[in-house]
Amino acid sequence: MFTSLKRIFKFGWQGFLRHKGLSSQVIFIMTVAVLVVISLFLFQGLSEFLIAEAQKKVDISVYFKKDTSENNILEVKQGLYKFSTAIEDIRYVSRVQAQEIFLQKHQDDPLYLQALEEVGENPFLASLNIRTKDPVFYAQISDYLVEGPFKNLVEKVSYYQNRKVIVRLFSIINNVKTAGIILSLILGILVILITFNTVKLTIFTSKDEISTMRLVGATNWFIRGPFLVQSIIYGILAVGIASLIFFASLNFLNSRLQTWLLDFNFLTFFQENFLSLLLIQFVFALGLGITSFLLAVRKYLKV
Amino acid sequence: MILFRTVTKIYHSSRKPIVALQDVSFQVQKGEFVSIAGTSGAGKTTLIRLLIGEEKPTRGEVFFERKSIHRNQKDLQKLRRKIGVVHQDYKLLSLKTVAENVAYVMQVIGASDRDIQRDVPQILDIVGLTERAANFPEELSGGEKQRLAIARALCHRPEVIVADEPTGNLDLYNTFEIVNLFKKIHRLGTTIILATHNKEVIIGLDRRVITLEEGKLIRDDPQGKFIL
Repeated sequence: MFTSLKRIFKFGWQGFLRHKGLSSQVIFIMTVAVLVVISLFLFQGLSEFLIAEAQKKVDISVYFKKDTSENNILEVKQGLYKFSTAIEDIRYVSRVQAQEIFLQKHQDDPLYLQALEEVGENPFLASLNIRTKDPVFYAQISDYLVEGPFKNLVEKVSYYQNRKVIVRLFSIINNVKTAGIILSLILGILVILITFNTVKLTIFTSKDEISTMRLVGATNWFIRGPFLVQSIIYGILAVGIASLIFFASLNFLNSRLQTWLLDFNFLTFFQENFLSLLLIQFVFALGLGITSFLLAVRKYLKV
Repeated sequence: MILFRTVTKIYHSSRKPIVALQDVSFQVQKGEFVSIAGTSGAGKTTLIRLLIGEEKPTRGEVFFERKSIHRNQKDLQKLRRKIGVVHQDYKLLSLKTVAENVAYVMQVIGASDRDIQRDVPQILDIVGLTERAANFPEELSGGEKQRLAIARALCHRPEVIVADEPTGNLDLYNTFEIVNLFKKIHRLGTTIILATHNKEVIIGLDRRVITLEEGKLIRDDPQGKFIL
């Protein structure tokens, strides 16, 4: 049994070496397909990171009428905590604090400061900045503030601008993901076709060996095994090459990408998820290799 | 040992069915040397292909050691390990040397590396190819190629050697060398079935001859001559 297994591997390896040209074509296209799969995986990580970052920046600001007292505003704050358990944090900004923030923000901008001086009094309204655990609750809270028991105190509620950014981000990410999946599918079909043809050609060029094996009573798996080994070698090499290419590219580009992508560290993400990524690549590459092998052997290798 | 029971083989072509064998029945006992004689198209190759399980009979059955050859794929694989086959066109592996050609077959049937190292030189010695062990098939003469094909058929110690026109491509000198080699193998206890249309070979052998004509078995002589 062990001797047979050893020889199946040996014949598979010999077949792989004997058809170097064909083998390199299969490995090339398989590597490209695996690279797309790795990119999709990394893109998934990046999009989750970007969405989380964008969500952190979304909040509701509810502005109160000029004459609303601080006590009333704090009452609204308590009312909001009672209204929804989804609220993560509410920050009260008084009119004075709002003015200070403005002054600090525009301290080097004389035009703004001059305009504020001309107004004379503090034009800023007191506000509550509300953050929830999930952006889906914002609409509900907004409605509560505009139509609920405190509607007479509220001047305006603003969150829609940030929400648009999030929706747009989601839409871009989903489009890129769909394009990536379609590309992987097309490449997957290409890999199957090319590997199928390679195994077919290998079967044709090995017909003398196959005929000899059949005549001396080799088992079906002893005859088919070397072709399976060959397909597995293609998969393993494609995964190895793709991982190396990615690791090298990320080492080279990571610092530049990090500045563009809100500090998202591709290299750390790649290293932290290396094992699961490797598993996905193997399942993908070996799946394609074995499918092609089964199709070709079933059609062309009569034992 | 081998039994053909009313075997018929019909090939279906687009024009009309071709009857390659018709109601052929005979037995071969262990240790016999049997020639299958007949002109081209008489059905010799079909008969050999049925015996090694490369074809299925349209009607009738072929038995090897009381087991039907065509009923079970696994039985067929076991059975093929007991039969050595020699073809007219040698069917050698051109990218392997003489020794590797023999070793390859032993590897396929699961012989250990030690057995392969021990047996390959012995087999090459039997067929007289020791000096050619490192040569590739294309560097051999026709007679040497056929001897290598016989060596390959011998290496898994088969109970029967089946040869389909093994001298078809050889000159007279090499023909008799090959026939002598078969006689030598037969003396060592192996059953031989030799399909040939060569009159001199059959006369020289002076053994049992089964004669086929247009797919029918027309004679079965215990010490026959080539009569057609």
